Amino acid sequence: MASSSSSAGKASEVGARRGKTRAGTQANGRIGSVSAPYLLILPAILFAFWIIGYPIYDMANMSVHAVNRFGKTTAFNDFANYQRLFSHQLFLGCLIRTLVWTVFVVGGTVILSVPIALVLNEKFYGRTLARIIIMLPWAVSLTMTGIVWRWSLNGQFGMVNATLSSFGLQDTPVEWLATAGTAFPILIAIGILVSIPFTVTVILGGLSSLQADIFEAAKIDGASGWQRFRYLTLPLIRPFLNIVLVLNFIYVFNSFPLIWVMTQGDPANSTDILVTWLYKLAFRYGELGIASALSIVMFLILLALTITYAALAMRHERREI
Amino acid sequence: MYQIRKRRVLSLLLGAAAILGASSASQAATIRVVLGYYSAATQGLFEGMAKDFMEKHPGDEVKIEVIQWDNLQQRLTTDIAGGTAPDIAMIGTRWLVDYVKNDIAEPLDGYMTPEFKAGFIESFLSPSTFDGKMYGLPVAASARAMYYNKDLLAKAGVNEPPTNWDGVVDAAKKIKALGTDAYGFALQGKEIETDAYWYYSLWTHGGEIIKDGKSGVASPQAIEALALYKMMIDEKLTEPDPSGLNRQDIERLFKQGRIGMILTGPWLRGQIKTDAPNLNYGLSSIPEGSNKATYGVTDTLMVFNSSPNKELAMKFLTETAFSPKWRIEFSTKEGFLPVMKEEAAAPVFANDPQLKAFTDMLPYARFAPPVANWEQMVDAVIAALQKVYIGQAQPEAALKDAAATIDGLIEQ
Repeated sequence: MASSSSSAGKASEVGARRGKTRAGTQANGRIGSVSAPYLLILPAILFAFWIIGYPIYDMANMSVHAVNRFGKTTAFNDFANYQRLFSHQLFLGCLIRTLVWTVFVVGGTVILSVPIALVLNEKFYGRTLARIIIMLPWAVSLTMTGIVWRWSLNGQFGMVNATLSSFGLQDTPVEWLATAGTAFPILIAIGILVSIPFTVTVILGGLSSLQADIFEAAKIDGASGWQRFRYLTLPLIRPFLNIVLVLNFIYVFNSFPLIWVMTQGDPANSTDILVTWLYKLAFRYGELGIASALSIVMFLILLALTITYAALAMRHERREI
Repeated sequence: MYQIRKRRVLSLLLGAAAILGASSASQAATIRVVLGYYSAATQGLFEGMAKDFMEKHPGDEVKIEVIQWDNLQQRLTTDIAGGTAPDIAMIGTRWLVDYVKNDIAEPLDGYMTPEFKAGFIESFLSPSTFDGKMYGLPVAASARAMYYNKDLLAKAGVNEPPTNWDGVVDAAKKIKALGTDAYGFALQGKEIETDAYWYYSLWTHGGEIIKDGKSGVASPQAIEALALYKMMIDEKLTEPDPSGLNRQDIERLFKQGRIGMILTGPWLRGQIKTDAPNLNYGLSSIPEGSNKATYGVTDTLMVFNSSPNKELAMKFLTETAFSPKWRIEFSTKEGFLPVMKEEAAAPVFANDPQLKAFTDMLPYARFAPPVANWEQMVDAVIAALQKVYIGQAQPEAALKDAAATIDGLIEQ
């Protein structure tokens, strides 16, 4: 406000010196016009820092103190919580499973979502219906999805076994969730299934923003369908793929309900990922110190991966320009 | 101007005086009671008790909140951490040790008469007693027994329910030989009480969960107890892949008539009455090995030492909640065993032959040991059992792992 009124005053000075004055005004006003927007969003930033930052501070504080099971922090304990976390026999296994789970679910989701989005982007009879069907799982809560699949996969009463045996494909019931060998791949598959709606929506948004004429030009120049996809579509929707990858990575890494409802990490912790183990540590075992250390570790992993990914993606874009 | 201000000050003073007067005149207190959800009847039962009590103590109020058991511990933890703990809470008795250690539970002996305390069945008091002080009143109790399907056993040529493990294995083999889709012996392998299902075998083989301050889950008796279950799985005497079935799953199989023998608590009687009224079943004691044993479980009502109304809270418990009238009503509606002598003598309990299978086991009832970190120990045991059930580890190796974890937790 102040800078604009001062520049208005100066601009009304003698016309002959106008050019110089304008330059001066700009130099003069730059400080104001640079800081003004920051000043304006400062309250919002402070508020966001408080809302997001305080829990992180609280968690970090808890993670370096001794905490009793009712959340009362006592003495600083020399990072003993972190020591106990890293030396815990379940930590490494859960970490590896979390990475496997995240990479497979996110990878599978993106690999499946791109063709689905391409198909849904074409004009065909019943496209709207097809789009609605693809989006429907989004409307159902993860917990409900988990419960329904848990029922379906039950070895004695489930629909999956009933279907398989009615087609003569199996004669003894299979307990799908009884061993990690079947349970974990099934969980990953369901994880992919529930991530597809969001991913397809974002990619569809990207596809609909593409201009038709460059594709026509490519077609006239004799580019094949694959070439058009590889050299036009894919690079053009890359920003959308980036969004989808980063957001899905964060969601899936922290995804709790599916695994919790279907297996609770059983059998023998073989489907536990960090976040389900975190819940057990905090609310079943009352190990709030280790649990808060683990939360901080998970936060840092996600932060590091997101920053690395964002940096890589941005560098890539700059090079293309 | 001055007049107005004076009048305003006066009226403010008057208002303040009115508020002070009102609050000092009534001395009314409110007691908050947080309870676990057993069934649709829980809320109504306790509301009834609260109403009774409020009639006797006009002005005082008892507020009842019923919460799902799954969320109860988490809810109480956050309430305590936030300084808004209730006055009375129902908790699993095995949690009590944490509450006592962290100085949250109030010792109750000073608030009750010796006659009141003597009214309880002795064995239910020990789990809530620490260093000779009582920290909770047992509110719900159950013991476990064996349910058997009379028709299925008869079809297999077994006319008397087996009383020991050899008999169980034998009967299960005969049921398997029938070639139907029925299984001889039910075994649960996931979620709540998967460990308890193995303790039946552990205790009857003479093992202990914790002995002399050390874990007993890798003792020769414990290995034998687990080897028995593993043998039954391998011989297909149980349902296939027990690690895929939880307690409700095997109970459902029993209600469908597809299980010969199952070990569980008195609640299944009520479920059979409504879900499978035609099931021809009987009750007998937990099969013996070298010992007789069953699992006893109690839940407890405790008073918080942060409560400003401890006297009144205890009055509510001793005068109303644990009066014979409400005890009988509660135990019959919820399907638990009596915890007070007067209750046990009531005709509904004394004349129920089925209940005898449970009450007969009471002298042999074992309880979860009162140690800190119990839930973490339970999960270590369950992980070991699951590894054996799915064939990932041998009983001895898996149990040694669990014992090492438990020993580490005891030392903490």
